[in-house]
Amino acid sequence: MLSSVHASRLEVAGDLLSLLRDTTTEPRTDTQLEALTLAVAADLPVLLWGEPGIGKTAALQQLAEALDLPLTTVIASVHEPSDFSGLPVVGDDPAAQGVPMAPPDWAVRLARGGRGLLFLDELSTAPPAVQAALLRLVLERRVGALRLPAGVRIVAAANPRSSAADGWELSPPLANRFVHLQWRHDHDVVVRGLGGTWPRASLPWLDPERLPEAVTFARRAVCGLLTARPDLVHRLPNNEAHRGGPWPSPRSWEMALCLTAFATAADASKDALSMLVRGTVGDGPGLELLAAMDRMDLPDPEALLADPATAELPQRGDLRQAVLDGVVAAVRKRPEKERWDAAWALLVRALETGAPDLVVVPASTLAALRRPDWKVPAAIERLAGVVSLGRKADEVAARVAG
Amino acid sequence: MDLEKLFTARLYAARARPYLATALFALHPVESRYVPTMAVDRHWRCYVSPAFVARTPVEELASVWVHEVSHLLRDHHGRSDRVARQQELTGRGERLRMNIAADFEINDDVYGDGLAWPDGAVQPKMLGLREGELMEDYLRQFRLGPYMQDLVWLDCGSGADGLEREWDLGPEGANGLSDHEREAVRFRVAQGINAHPGNVPKGWRRWAEEAFHPPQPWRELLGTAIRSAVSGPGVGEDYTYGRPPRRSAGLPGVILPSLRRRPPRISVVIDTSASVSDAELGSALLEVAAIVRAVGGRRDLVSVLSCDAAARVAQPLCRAEGMTLVGGGGTDLRAGIAKALRASPRPNVIVVLTDGQTPWPRERPASRMVVGLFSRPKRSYESDPDYVPDTPPSWARTVEIG
Repeated sequence: MLSSVHASRLEVAGDLLSLLRDTTTEPRTDTQLEALTLAVAADLPVLLWGEPGIGKTAALQQLAEALDLPLTTVIASVHEPSDFSGLPVVGDDPAAQGVPMAPPDWAVRLARGGRGLLFLDELSTAPPAVQAALLRLVLERRVGALRLPAGVRIVAAANPRSSAADGWELSPPLANRFVHLQWRHDHDVVVRGLGGTWPRASLPWLDPERLPEAVTFARRAVCGLLTARPDLVHRLPNNEAHRGGPWPSPRSWEMALCLTAFATAADASKDALSMLVRGTVGDGPGLELLAAMDRMDLPDPEALLADPATAELPQRGDLRQAVLDGVVAAVRKRPEKERWDAAWALLVRALETGAPDLVVVPASTLAALRRPDWKVPAAIERLAGVVSLGRKADEVAARVAG
Repeated sequence: MDLEKLFTARLYAARARPYLATALFALHPVESRYVPTMAVDRHWRCYVSPAFVARTPVEELASVWVHEVSHLLRDHHGRSDRVARQQELTGRGERLRMNIAADFEINDDVYGDGLAWPDGAVQPKMLGLREGELMEDYLRQFRLGPYMQDLVWLDCGSGADGLEREWDLGPEGANGLSDHEREAVRFRVAQGINAHPGNVPKGWRRWAEEAFHPPQPWRELLGTAIRSAVSGPGVGEDYTYGRPPRRSAGLPGVILPSLRRRPPRISVVIDTSASVSDAELGSALLEVAAIVRAVGGRRDLVSVLSCDAAARVAQPLCRAEGMTLVGGGGTDLRAGIAKALRASPRPNVIVVLTDGQTPWPRERPASRMVVGLFSRPKRSYESDPDYVPDTPPSWARTVEIG
């Protein structure tokens, strides 16, 4: 080509670069990004934990685009504490006017714009005084004398303790104020991305119709769990391995409640909610909350007993058994002939739509609840196979023991 | 397929191992003519060969159910993937090795006590290996060879070794469990075992304890504790407004902070009441030396105090590492700490390596303290049965070693 003859070497280099940058995107569910978006939308302080160079900044760019916010990245380790707590400027008469703490330019620009996404990267490689100033910025949204407006969202990132060079870690009280998100790279995503196709995550969107329902659901889930398990409310981490990570306290439960409401309103995936809740109150309490929510999703035994003919039982075996056990327990609590019959009808339905071994234990428990004047329902005939299944299992037990 | 036999076996398995019932019922059976026996995938589907069900006695089928669900609960596919990535193991042969190692981990304590030994179940002792180890440990100890011809047919599916099989339905297929659901099932099983550890075999108890709180490597924890102690405020590198730095001249009226570096002084106090093995002590002391070097402490700033028993190990090590060994102390740890504190200038950090059979200082010393505690089972030869050794004080950072 004639033009390439005249093109300078730098222009050719430019062409090559633009070819390299010419990548496409493909839709892909990204649980990490989904969780991050929800936490940022809920305006809670987020701390991303991840090894350097795994694409945290790229994720933040995508997030800023999705939320339509200008992104400001501040690499903490190249700044001084005064960049975050403000430079003391001595005026004419310090005794009368005080010493104002002047904020840096990026903070002024953010405040003037009124909205933006501030990303504080490499928190853990900054010297201690810088970290202290940064934490105040994240938690109180203050830079010197300047207060960042509500439209500014802040995300911080740190390297895990094992790879932080100078032993940076959060004290438990500080750790309790953050939503901790573990950021990992996905091997497939990286390889495909280097091949020219990066993922494009569809970000959650809050449904205005569902807001009141989401709040009710979140309150019911958290309060229900904490009523039943009062010792989960506050548990200071007592061993070295859990220092600086998420742990349960009334403050972090409040954050978990807020995140649950956001995830419900956005109809986010359970995996994203799991990441968020476990990153807020810790693994154990977080999993208990999620288990409690799963149980809330199960059909109500009373509703099933009221209308066994059209009952929808969960497909998963363990959940199905939990439901059937719940139905039998409900009959035991208030034993009446109609309820007993309805429970049998439900068991027959369970047998017709799923594995028979799940029905054995509820069936024998239900049979034991029979009152002398109750007539055996015709439906029991169809459970004969189940009875034989239970009997065979007994025979196996006898053989193995003998 | 003889579903009745298959489900009788599952029912029996759930009765024999009540703590695994949730997981057993959560497995979704899929008939498949491709699998040799029974195999699982990572989405908690269980592929079952009709011919295998027909020829296997019910009691052995029950054991195979438990075996397959164990692969999933113990996350063998995830662990295989991690090992494969770390050690760059590729190919079917390596995956077969992982399957065998995973089987070793499971088989040494799931059978017996009501569960029959399935025909052809592999055991570590078949290769002359010790029982009770983890899959990763076994993997290091054997290679595939001609003497293992009998094992080549062994195939527990992608749920056991992470390698996708042609019969796998994949993540989009029906009745798979999502990440969150899998975690929830594992959590419920672990919770059940932790609540009633009574009759549960040791391997399962260990799994339940570690499933959601994997033990952290002590090296990492000790490193973090020491690094955070030597780089905390007042020690090491920090900002100060004490004296204006030179560049202040360019900004009249503005006081800039300056960076001051104060290398930390560290005393290591070793207490051995003859119960700490030389190897343990040596590795801990080497670790301390390496960390101290990494945080920039000059060798002359590190001193080691030891009592006589430890001098044998400490002396050559200290000489090799260029640290000063300060004479022997008593067996009472308090004397050693007091001696370290008397040094002039006073150390910033005291690192204590001990097995904990010692009284501790009542008052918090002026230096930070990190305790490396060699964990020991309770000793029975104490004459006073009520004797309880004091635990390290709460103001010290304590890391369990070994």
